[in-house]
Amino acid sequence: MDYVLTLMPSMLKGWTVTLQIFFIVLIFALPLGVIMGIARLSAFKPLAWFMELYVWLFRGTPLLLQLLFWYFGLMAVGIRLEREMAVYVAFVLNYAAYLAEIFRSGIQSIDKGQYEAADVLGLNRKQTMSKIVLPQVFKRVMPPIGNEVINLVKDTALVYIIAMSELSRAARIHAVRDENLIPFAIAAVFYLLMTAIVQQFFKWLESKLDYYR
Amino acid sequence: MAMLQATDIHKKFGHLKVLKGVSLQVEKGEVIAIIGPSGSGKSTLLRCLNRLEKIDQGCIEIEGETMVDNGPKGWAVYSDEKDIERMRRKMGMVFQNFNLFPHKSVLENLMLAPVLVNGMDKTEAEKIARELLDKVGLSFKADNYPFELSGGQQQRVAIARALTLNPSIMCFDEPTSALDPELTGEVLHVMRDLALEHMTMIVVTHEIGFAREVANRVIFMDDGLIVEQGTAEEVLLNPAQERTRSFLGTVLMAR
Repeated sequence: MDYVLTLMPSMLKGWTVTLQIFFIVLIFALPLGVIMGIARLSAFKPLAWFMELYVWLFRGTPLLLQLLFWYFGLMAVGIRLEREMAVYVAFVLNYAAYLAEIFRSGIQSIDKGQYEAADVLGLNRKQTMSKIVLPQVFKRVMPPIGNEVINLVKDTALVYIIAMSELSRAARIHAVRDENLIPFAIAAVFYLLMTAIVQQFFKWLESKLDYYR
Repeated sequence: MAMLQATDIHKKFGHLKVLKGVSLQVEKGEVIAIIGPSGSGKSTLLRCLNRLEKIDQGCIEIEGETMVDNGPKGWAVYSDEKDIERMRRKMGMVFQNFNLFPHKSVLENLMLAPVLVNGMDKTEAEKIARELLDKVGLSFKADNYPFELSGGQQQRVAIARALTLNPSIMCFDEPTSALDPELTGEVLHVMRDLALEHMTMIVVTHEIGFAREVANRVIFMDDGLIVEQGTAEEVLLNPAQERTRSFLGTVLMAR
Protein backbone atom coordinates (compact mmCIF):
# COMPACT_ATOMS: atom_id res chain seq x y z
CA MET A 1 0.00 0.00 0.00
CA ASP A 2 2.83 2.36 0.83
CA TYR A 3 4.35 1.47 -2.50
CA VAL A 4 1.11 2.39 -4.28
CA LEU A 5 1.09 5.74 -2.52
CA THR A 6 4.62 6.52 -3.64
CA LEU A 7 3.49 6.03 -7.22
CA MET A 8 0.53 8.34 -6.90
CA PRO A 9 2.09 11.77 -7.48
CA SER A 10 3.52 10.89 -10.88
CA MET A 11 0.52 8.78 -11.85
CA LEU A 12 -1.85 11.61 -10.98
CA LYS A 13 0.30 14.00 -12.94
CA GLY A 14 0.14 11.68 -15.94
CA TRP A 15 -3.56 11.38 -15.44
CA THR A 16 -4.09 15.16 -15.68
CA VAL A 17 -2.21 15.10 -19.01
CA THR A 18 -4.51 12.30 -20.20
CA LEU A 19 -7.58 14.27 -19.13
CA GLN A 20 -6.29 17.38 -20.83
CA ILE A 21 -5.81 15.56 -24.13
CA PHE A 22 -9.23 13.94 -23.75
CA PHE A 23 -11.17 17.16 -23.22
CA ILE A 24 -9.33 19.33 -25.71
CA VAL A 25 -9.71 16.71 -28.44
CA LEU A 26 -13.44 16.33 -27.72
CA ILE A 27 -14.09 20.06 -27.69
CA PHE A 28 -12.58 20.46 -31.16
CA ALA A 29 -13.39 17.11 -32.77
CA LEU A 30 -17.16 17.11 -32.04
CA PRO A 31 -18.10 20.35 -33.84
CA LEU A 32 -15.58 19.58 -36.58
CA GLY A 33 -17.23 16.17 -37.02
CA VAL A 34 -20.66 17.78 -37.40
CA ILE A 35 -19.37 20.25 -39.99
CA MET A 36 -17.52 17.54 -41.89
CA GLY A 37 -20.53 15.23 -41.77
CA ILE A 38 -22.67 17.96 -43.36
CA ALA A 39 -19.91 18.78 -45.87
CA ARG A 40 -19.73 15.11 -46.83
CA LEU A 41 -23.36 15.42 -48.00
CA SER A 42 -22.86 18.76 -49.74
CA ALA A 43 -24.53 19.26 -53.11
CA PHE A 44 -21.23 20.90 -54.12
CA LYS A 45 -19.59 17.70 -55.35
CA PRO A 46 -15.89 18.64 -55.03
CA LEU A 47 -16.44 19.32 -51.33
CA ALA A 48 -18.24 15.99 -50.84
CA TRP A 49 -15.46 14.17 -52.69
CA PHE A 50 -12.78 15.92 -50.69
CA MET A 51 -14.49 14.83 -47.48
CA GLU A 52 -14.70 11.26 -48.72
CA LEU A 53 -10.98 11.32 -49.45
CA TYR A 54 -10.32 12.86 -46.05
CA VAL A 55 -12.30 10.20 -44.21
CA TRP A 56 -10.56 7.46 -46.16
CA LEU A 57 -7.14 8.87 -45.36
CA PHE A 58 -7.68 9.45 -41.65
CA ARG A 59 -9.72 6.36 -40.95
CA GLY A 60 -7.60 4.21 -43.19
CA THR A 61 -4.26 4.67 -41.42
CA PRO A 62 -3.35 3.89 -37.81
CA LEU A 63 -3.65 6.79 -35.41
CA LEU A 64 -0.19 5.83 -34.18
CA LEU A 65 1.30 6.55 -37.62
CA GLN A 66 -0.60 9.82 -37.81
CA LEU A 67 0.88 10.87 -34.49
CA LEU A 68 4.36 10.06 -35.76
CA PHE A 69 3.66 12.00 -38.93
CA TRP A 70 2.52 15.19 -37.19
CA TYR A 71 5.48 15.16 -34.81
CA PHE A 72 8.49 13.45 -36.42
CA GLY A 73 7.30 13.58 -40.03
CA LEU A 74 6.86 17.31 -40.02
CA MET A 75 10.06 17.73 -38.07
CA ALA A 76 11.89 15.92 -40.85
CA VAL A 77 10.77 18.57 -43.34
CA GLY A 78 11.69 21.39 -40.97
CA ILE A 79 8.29 22.14 -39.41
CA ARG A 80 8.41 21.73 -35.67
CA LEU A 81 5.10 21.29 -33.84
CA GLU A 82 5.14 21.26 -30.05
CA ARG A 83 4.49 17.81 -28.63
CA GLU A 84 1.08 18.84 -27.31
CA MET A 85 0.18 20.52 -30.58
CA ALA A 86 1.14 17.45 -32.61
CA VAL A 87 -1.04 15.32 -30.33
CA TYR A 88 -4.03 17.66 -30.60
CA VAL A 89 -3.77 17.97 -34.37
CA ALA A 90 -3.41 14.21 -34.86
CA PHE A 91 -6.26 13.28 -32.50
CA VAL A 92 -8.69 16.00 -33.57
CA LEU A 93 -8.26 15.27 -37.29
CA ASN A 94 -8.51 11.53 -36.72
CA TYR A 95 -11.52 11.62 -34.44
CA ALA A 96 -13.29 14.19 -36.61
CA ALA A 97 -13.13 11.68 -39.47
CA TYR A 98 -14.87 8.99 -37.43
CA LEU A 99 -17.40 11.43 -36.01
CA ALA A 100 -18.08 12.84 -39.50
CA GLU A 101 -19.11 9.38 -40.68
CA ILE A 102 -21.38 8.94 -37.68
CA PHE A 103 -23.05 12.31 -38.25
CA ARG A 104 -23.32 11.69 -41.99
CA SER A 105 -25.16 8.42 -41.48
CA GLY A 106 -27.29 10.08 -38.78
CA ILE A 107 -28.31 12.88 -41.11
CA GLN A 108 -29.12 10.41 -43.87
CA SER A 109 -31.29 8.38 -41.52
CA ILE A 110 -33.73 11.27 -41.06
CA ASP A 111 -36.91 10.71 -43.05
CA LYS A 112 -37.33 12.70 -46.27
CA GLY A 113 -40.76 13.73 -45.00
CA GLN A 114 -39.13 15.85 -42.29
CA TYR A 115 -37.36 17.94 -44.93
CA GLU A 116 -40.54 18.22 -46.99
CA ALA A 117 -42.63 19.28 -44.00
CA ALA A 118 -40.04 21.94 -43.12
CA ASP A 119 -39.93 23.00 -46.76
CA VAL A 120 -43.68 23.50 -47.17
CA LEU A 121 -43.74 25.45 -43.91
CA GLY A 122 -41.21 27.84 -45.42
CA LEU A 123 -38.17 27.02 -43.32
CA ASN A 124 -34.93 27.69 -45.17
CA ARG A 125 -32.12 25.15 -45.38
CA LYS A 126 -30.24 26.47 -42.41
CA GLN A 127 -33.36 26.47 -40.20
CA THR A 128 -34.28 22.99 -41.38
CA MET A 129 -30.82 21.71 -40.49
CA SER A 130 -30.50 23.42 -37.12
CA LYS A 131 -34.08 23.17 -35.84
CA ILE A 132 -35.41 19.98 -37.40
CA VAL A 133 -32.67 17.65 -38.63
CA LEU A 134 -29.70 18.03 -36.28
CA PRO A 135 -31.65 17.78 -33.00
CA GLN A 136 -33.03 14.44 -34.18
CA VAL A 137 -29.60 13.38 -35.44
CA PHE A 138 -27.99 14.04 -32.05
CA LYS A 139 -30.41 11.70 -30.37
CA ARG A 140 -29.84 8.95 -32.91
CA VAL A 141 -26.04 9.14 -32.92
CA MET A 142 -25.62 9.24 -29.15
CA PRO A 143 -24.81 5.50 -28.79
CA PRO A 144 -22.08 5.43 -31.50
CA ILE A 145 -20.70 8.75 -30.23
CA GLY A 146 -20.49 7.21 -26.76
CA ASN A 147 -18.43 4.41 -28.29
CA GLU A 148 -16.01 6.86 -29.86
CA VAL A 149 -15.63 8.84 -26.66
CA ILE A 150 -14.73 5.68 -24.75
CA ASN A 151 -12.25 4.80 -27.48
CA LEU A 152 -10.74 8.24 -27.07
CA VAL A 153 -10.18 7.66 -23.34
CA LYS A 154 -8.05 4.64 -24.18
CA ASP A 155 -6.42 6.00 -27.34
CA THR A 156 -4.81 8.78 -25.34
CA ALA A 157 -2.32 6.10 -24.26
CA LEU A 158 -0.88 6.20 -27.79
CA VAL A 159 0.86 9.51 -27.19
CA TYR A 160 3.63 7.67 -25.33
CA ILE A 161 5.10 7.16 -28.84
CA ILE A 162 6.19 10.78 -28.96
CA ALA A 163 7.25 10.66 -25.30
CA MET A 164 4.45 12.63 -23.76
CA SER A 165 4.08 11.81 -20.07
CA GLU A 166 0.47 10.78 -19.76
CA LEU A 167 -0.96 8.09 -17.50
CA SER A 168 0.20 4.94 -19.30
CA ARG A 169 3.72 6.31 -19.81
CA ALA A 170 3.99 7.19 -16.12
CA ALA A 171 2.98 3.61 -15.34
CA ARG A 172 5.49 2.21 -17.81
CA ILE A 173 8.35 4.26 -16.33
CA HIS A 174 7.61 2.99 -12.83
CA ALA A 175 7.13 -0.58 -13.98
CA VAL A 176 10.51 -0.64 -15.68
CA ARG A 177 12.30 1.12 -12.80
CA ASP A 178 10.76 -1.00 -10.01
CA GLU A 179 10.55 -4.21 -12.01
CA ASN A 180 6.93 -5.00 -11.18
CA LEU A 181 3.53 -4.74 -12.84
CA ILE A 182 1.59 -2.93 -10.12
CA PRO A 183 1.86 0.47 -11.88
CA PHE A 184 0.08 -1.02 -14.90
CA ALA A 185 -2.70 -2.34 -12.67
CA ILE A 186 -3.12 1.10 -11.18
CA ALA A 187 -3.23 2.63 -14.66
CA ALA A 188 -5.94 0.14 -15.60
CA VAL A 189 -8.00 1.24 -12.59
CA PHE A 190 -7.66 4.87 -13.69
CA TYR A 191 -8.84 4.03 -17.21
CA LEU A 192 -11.75 2.00 -15.87
CA LEU A 193 -12.77 4.91 -13.67
CA MET A 194 -12.74 7.29 -16.60
CA THR A 195 -14.69 4.98 -18.91
CA ALA A 196 -17.19 4.30 -16.13
CA ILE A 197 -17.84 8.03 -15.84
CA VAL A 198 -18.16 8.41 -19.60
CA GLN A 199 -20.52 5.44 -19.76
CA GLN A 200 -22.74 6.83 -16.98
CA PHE A 201 -22.71 10.26 -18.58
CA PHE A 202 -23.98 8.87 -21.89
CA LYS A 203 -26.58 6.78 -20.12
CA TRP A 204 -27.84 9.95 -18.47
CA LEU A 205 -27.73 11.85 -21.78
CA GLU A 206 -29.70 9.16 -23.58
CA SER A 207 -32.33 9.12 -20.84
CA LYS A 208 -32.52 12.91 -21.12
CA LEU A 209 -33.29 12.56 -24.83
CA ASP A 210 -35.88 9.88 -24.19
CA TYR A 211 -38.77 12.33 -23.99
CA TYR A 212 -39.65 11.69 -27.63
CA ARG A 213 -39.42 8.86 -30.11
CA MET B 1 -59.16 35.31 -61.31
CA ALA B 2 -58.47 31.68 -60.54
CA MET B 3 -56.91 30.81 -57.23
CA LEU B 4 -54.63 28.41 -58.98
CA GLN B 5 -54.10 27.73 -62.64
CA ALA B 6 -51.95 24.88 -63.90
CA THR B 7 -51.58 24.45 -67.64
CA ASP B 8 -50.26 21.48 -69.59
CA ILE B 9 -48.01 20.11 -66.83
CA HIS B 10 -45.44 17.55 -67.87
CA LYS B 11 -43.25 15.68 -65.42
CA LYS B 12 -40.82 12.81 -65.88
CA PHE B 13 -38.94 10.75 -63.32
CA GLY B 14 -36.00 9.51 -65.34
CA HIS B 15 -37.63 7.98 -68.39
CA LEU B 16 -40.97 7.45 -66.70
CA LYS B 17 -43.54 10.02 -67.78
CA VAL B 18 -45.69 10.62 -64.71
CA LEU B 19 -47.65 13.65 -65.91
CA LYS B 20 -48.38 13.89 -69.62
CA GLY B 21 -50.04 17.26 -69.98
CA VAL B 22 -52.37 17.97 -67.09
CA SER B 23 -54.33 21.21 -66.76
CA LEU B 24 -56.21 22.26 -63.68
CA GLN B 25 -58.00 25.41 -62.64
CA VAL B 26 -59.06 25.96 -59.05
CA GLU B 27 -61.47 28.71 -58.05
CA LYS B 28 -61.69 30.30 -54.63
CA GLY B 29 -63.68 28.17 -52.20
CA GLU B 30 -63.68 25.10 -54.39
CA VAL B 31 -63.12 21.67 -52.89
CA ILE B 32 -61.54 19.39 -55.46
CA ALA B 33 -61.06 15.68 -54.97
CA ILE B 34 -58.53 13.94 -57.18
CA ILE B 35 -59.04 10.20 -57.41
CA GLY B 36 -57.41 7.48 -59.44
CA PRO B 37 -55.38 4.29 -59.20
CA SER B 38 -51.92 4.36 -57.65
CA GLY B 39 -49.32 5.39 -60.16
CA SER B 40 -51.82 7.60 -61.97
CA GLY B 41 -49.82 10.74 -61.14
CA LYS B 42 -52.32 12.33 -58.74
CA SER B 43 -49.90 12.77 -55.84
CA THR B 44 -47.18 13.97 -58.18
CA LEU B 45 -49.55 16.57 -59.59
CA LEU B 46 -50.27 17.87 -56.09
CA ARG B 47 -46.57 17.92 -55.22
CA CYS B 48 -45.81 19.83 -58.41
CA LEU B 49 -48.33 22.52 -57.53
CA ASN B 50 -46.33 23.60 -54.47
CA ARG B 51 -42.96 22.74 -56.00
CA LEU B 52 -42.09 19.74 -53.88
CA GLU B 53 -41.38 18.41 -57.35
CA LYS B 54 -40.16 20.54 -60.23
CA ILE B 55 -42.08 20.25 -63.48
CA ASP B 56 -40.42 19.77 -66.87
CA GLN B 57 -42.95 21.68 -68.94
CA GLY B 58 -46.04 23.75 -68.29
CA CYS B 59 -47.23 26.79 -66.40
CA ILE B 60 -48.42 27.28 -62.84
CA GLU B 61 -50.00 30.50 -61.58
CA ILE B 62 -51.06 31.19 -58.02
CA GLU B 63 -53.59 34.01 -57.65
CA GLY B 64 -52.46 35.41 -60.99
CA GLU B 65 -48.76 35.32 -60.16
CA THR B 66 -46.54 33.11 -62.30
CA MET B 67 -44.56 30.51 -60.39
CA VAL B 68 -43.28 28.68 -63.44
CA ASP B 69 -43.78 28.97 -67.19
CA ASN B 70 -42.28 27.55 -70.35
CA GLY B 71 -39.15 29.41 -71.40
CA PRO B 72 -38.03 30.12 -74.97
CA LYS B 73 -36.59 26.60 -75.28
CA GLY B 74 -39.93 25.05 -74.35
CA TRP B 75 -38.82 23.86 -70.90
CA ALA B 76 -40.26 25.08 -67.65
CA VAL B 77 -38.45 28.04 -66.11
CA TYR B 78 -39.14 28.93 -62.49
CA SER B 79 -39.46 32.50 -61.19
CA ASP B 80 -37.19 34.04 -58.56
CA GLU B 81 -36.79 31.94 -55.45
CA LYS B 82 -38.07 34.77 -53.26
CA ASP B 83 -41.28 35.15 -55.25
CA ILE B 84 -41.83 31.39 -55.31
CA GLU B 85 -41.42 31.16 -51.55
CA ARG B 86 -44.01 33.92 -51.12
CA MET B 87 -46.43 32.05 -53.39
CA ARG B 88 -45.81 28.75 -51.64
CA ARG B 89 -46.69 30.40 -48.31
CA LYS B 90 -50.24 30.60 -49.64
CA MET B 91 -50.46 26.82 -49.83
CA GLY B 92 -50.76 24.54 -46.84
CA MET B 93 -49.76 20.92 -47.28
CA VAL B 94 -50.87 17.82 -45.41
CA PHE B 95 -48.94 14.60 -46.02
CA GLN B 96 -49.97 10.98 -45.97
CA ASN B 97 -47.46 10.24 -43.18
CA PHE B 98 -48.24 13.41 -41.15
CA ASN B 99 -44.54 14.36 -40.96
CA LEU B 100 -44.88 16.02 -37.58
CA PHE B 101 -41.58 16.95 -35.95
CA PRO B 102 -41.12 14.21 -33.34
CA HIS B 103 -38.76 16.19 -31.11
CA LYS B 104 -41.21 19.08 -30.74
CA SER B 105 -44.36 19.10 -28.67
CA VAL B 106 -47.69 19.52 -30.44
CA LEU B 107 -47.74 23.21 -29.52
CA GLU B 108 -44.15 23.70 -30.71
CA ASN B 109 -44.97 21.98 -34.00
CA LEU B 110 -47.61 24.64 -34.58
CA MET B 111 -45.55 27.60 -33.38
CA LEU B 112 -42.44 26.80 -35.40
CA ALA B 113 -43.32 28.27 -38.79
CA PRO B 114 -45.04 31.47 -37.57
CA VAL B 115 -42.05 32.27 -35.34
CA LEU B 116 -39.23 31.23 -37.69
CA VAL B 117 -40.74 32.17 -41.03
CA ASN B 118 -43.02 35.08 -40.25
CA GLY B 119 -41.04 36.41 -37.31
CA MET B 120 -44.13 36.44 -35.12
CA ASP B 121 -43.51 36.85 -31.39
CA LYS B 122 -43.98 33.75 -29.31
CA THR B 123 -47.00 34.88 -27.29
CA GLU B 124 -48.92 35.69 -30.44
CA ALA B 125 -47.83 32.45 -32.14
CA GLU B 126 -48.89 30.44 -29.10
CA LYS B 127 -52.30 32.12 -29.08
CA ILE B 128 -52.88 31.22 -32.73
CA ALA B 129 -51.54 27.70 -32.19
CA ARG B 130 -53.95 27.12 -29.30
CA GLU B 131 -56.89 28.43 -31.33
CA LEU B 132 -56.08 26.06 -34.17
CA LEU B 133 -55.65 23.12 -31.78
CA ASP B 134 -59.05 23.96 -30.37
CA LYS B 135 -60.46 23.94 -33.88
CA VAL B 136 -59.21 20.40 -34.54
CA GLY B 137 -60.34 19.34 -31.06
CA LEU B 138 -56.90 18.67 -29.60
CA SER B 139 -56.32 21.44 -27.06
CA PHE B 140 -55.76 18.81 -24.39
CA LYS B 141 -52.77 17.42 -26.31
CA ALA B 142 -50.89 20.72 -26.64
CA ASP B 143 -47.99 19.67 -24.43
CA ASN B 144 -47.76 16.08 -25.63
CA TYR B 145 -45.25 14.78 -28.17
CA PRO B 146 -46.39 13.30 -31.50
CA PHE B 147 -45.54 9.71 -30.50
CA GLU B 148 -48.08 9.98 -27.68
CA LEU B 149 -50.91 10.64 -30.17
CA SER B 150 -52.92 8.25 -32.32
CA GLY B 151 -52.50 8.44 -36.08
CA GLY B 152 -55.76 10.32 -36.45
CA GLN B 153 -54.75 12.83 -33.80
CA GLN B 154 -51.35 13.29 -35.43
CA GLN B 155 -52.98 14.03 -38.76
CA ARG B 156 -55.33 16.55 -37.13
CA VAL B 157 -52.27 18.26 -35.62
CA ALA B 158 -50.65 18.23 -39.07
CA ILE B 159 -53.73 19.95 -40.51
CA ALA B 160 -53.64 22.56 -37.74
CA ARG B 161 -49.93 23.08 -38.38
CA ALA B 162 -50.54 23.64 -42.10
CA LEU B 163 -53.16 26.26 -41.15
CA THR B 164 -50.74 28.29 -38.99
CA LEU B 165 -49.46 30.25 -41.97
CA ASN B 166 -53.03 31.16 -42.89
CA PRO B 167 -52.96 29.61 -46.38
CA SER B 168 -55.43 30.36 -49.17
CA ILE B 169 -55.29 26.80 -50.49
CA MET B 170 -54.98 23.58 -48.54
CA CYS B 171 -53.47 20.57 -50.28
CA PHE B 172 -54.02 17.08 -48.89
CA ASP B 173 -51.96 14.16 -50.17
CA GLU B 174 -53.88 11.00 -49.28
CA PRO B 175 -54.45 12.28 -45.74
CA THR B 176 -56.19 9.14 -44.48
CA SER B 177 -54.27 6.43 -46.34
CA ALA B 178 -51.85 5.72 -43.48
CA LEU B 179 -54.63 5.51 -40.90
CA ASP B 180 -56.50 2.58 -39.44
CA PRO B 181 -60.05 2.61 -40.83
CA GLU B 182 -61.60 3.58 -37.50
CA LEU B 183 -59.41 6.70 -37.35
CA THR B 184 -60.18 8.14 -40.78
CA GLY B 185 -63.49 9.60 -39.61
CA GLU B 186 -62.02 12.17 -37.24
CA VAL B 187 -59.64 13.45 -39.93
CA LEU B 188 -62.36 13.65 -42.58
CA HIS B 189 -64.52 15.46 -40.03
CA VAL B 190 -61.90 18.19 -39.60
CA MET B 191 -61.55 18.46 -43.37
CA ARG B 192 -65.32 18.71 -43.78
CA ASP B 193 -65.35 21.57 -41.27
CA LEU B 194 -62.69 23.36 -43.30
CA ALA B 195 -64.75 22.91 -46.45
CA LEU B 196 -67.77 24.39 -44.67
CA GLU B 197 -65.64 27.48 -43.94
CA HIS B 198 -65.09 27.75 -47.71
CA MET B 199 -61.42 26.91 -47.56
CA THR B 200 -60.11 26.18 -51.04
CA MET B 201 -59.00 22.57 -50.97
CA ILE B 202 -57.33 20.08 -53.25
CA VAL B 203 -57.59 16.57 -51.88
CA VAL B 204 -55.87 13.53 -53.36
CA THR B 205 -57.82 10.69 -51.83
CA HIS B 206 -59.09 7.16 -51.97
CA GLU B 207 -62.11 8.10 -49.87
CA ILE B 208 -64.86 7.97 -52.48
CA GLY B 209 -67.45 8.69 -49.80
CA PHE B 210 -65.68 11.87 -48.76
CA ALA B 211 -65.30 12.93 -52.38
CA ARG B 212 -69.01 12.40 -53.00
CA GLU B 213 -70.09 14.24 -49.91
CA VAL B 214 -67.71 17.20 -49.73
CA ALA B 215 -66.09 17.83 -53.11
CA ASN B 216 -67.55 20.39 -55.53
CA ARG B 217 -65.57 18.78 -58.28
CA VAL B 218 -64.11 15.33 -58.70
CA ILE B 219 -61.19 14.67 -61.01
CA PHE B 220 -60.35 11.17 -62.14
CA MET B 221 -56.76 10.64 -63.23
CA ASP B 222 -55.14 7.69 -64.89
CA ASP B 223 -51.77 7.16 -66.52
CA GLY B 224 -50.63 10.77 -66.11
CA LEU B 225 -53.73 12.36 -67.58
CA ILE B 226 -57.07 13.68 -66.38
CA VAL B 227 -59.56 11.19 -67.77
CA GLU B 228 -62.66 13.03 -66.68
CA GLN B 229 -63.87 15.64 -64.26
CA GLY B 230 -67.13 17.11 -63.12
CA THR B 231 -69.41 17.26 -60.10
CA ALA B 232 -69.30 14.33 -57.73
CA GLU B 233 -72.55 13.05 -59.16
CA GLU B 234 -71.35 13.18 -62.73
CA VAL B 235 -68.02 11.48 -62.12
CA LEU B 236 -68.88 9.08 -59.32
CA LEU B 237 -72.44 8.13 -60.16
CA ASN B 238 -72.61 8.52 -63.93
CA PRO B 239 -69.05 8.35 -65.23
CA ALA B 240 -68.77 8.96 -68.96
CA GLN B 241 -65.52 7.08 -69.44
CA GLU B 242 -65.17 3.33 -69.35
CA ARG B 243 -61.83 3.70 -67.46
CA THR B 244 -63.54 5.64 -64.66
CA ARG B 245 -66.32 3.09 -64.42
CA SER B 246 -63.95 0.16 -64.07
CA PHE B 247 -61.86 2.02 -61.45
CA LEU B 248 -64.93 2.90 -59.39
CA GLY B 249 -66.15 -0.65 -59.77
CA THR B 250 -62.94 -2.01 -58.26
CA VAL B 251 -62.82 0.56 -55.48
CA LEU B 252 -66.43 0.16 -54.46
CA MET B 253 -66.29 -3.59 -54.67
CA ALA B 254 -63.33 -3.59 -52.29
CA ARG B 255 -65.30 -1.78 -49.61
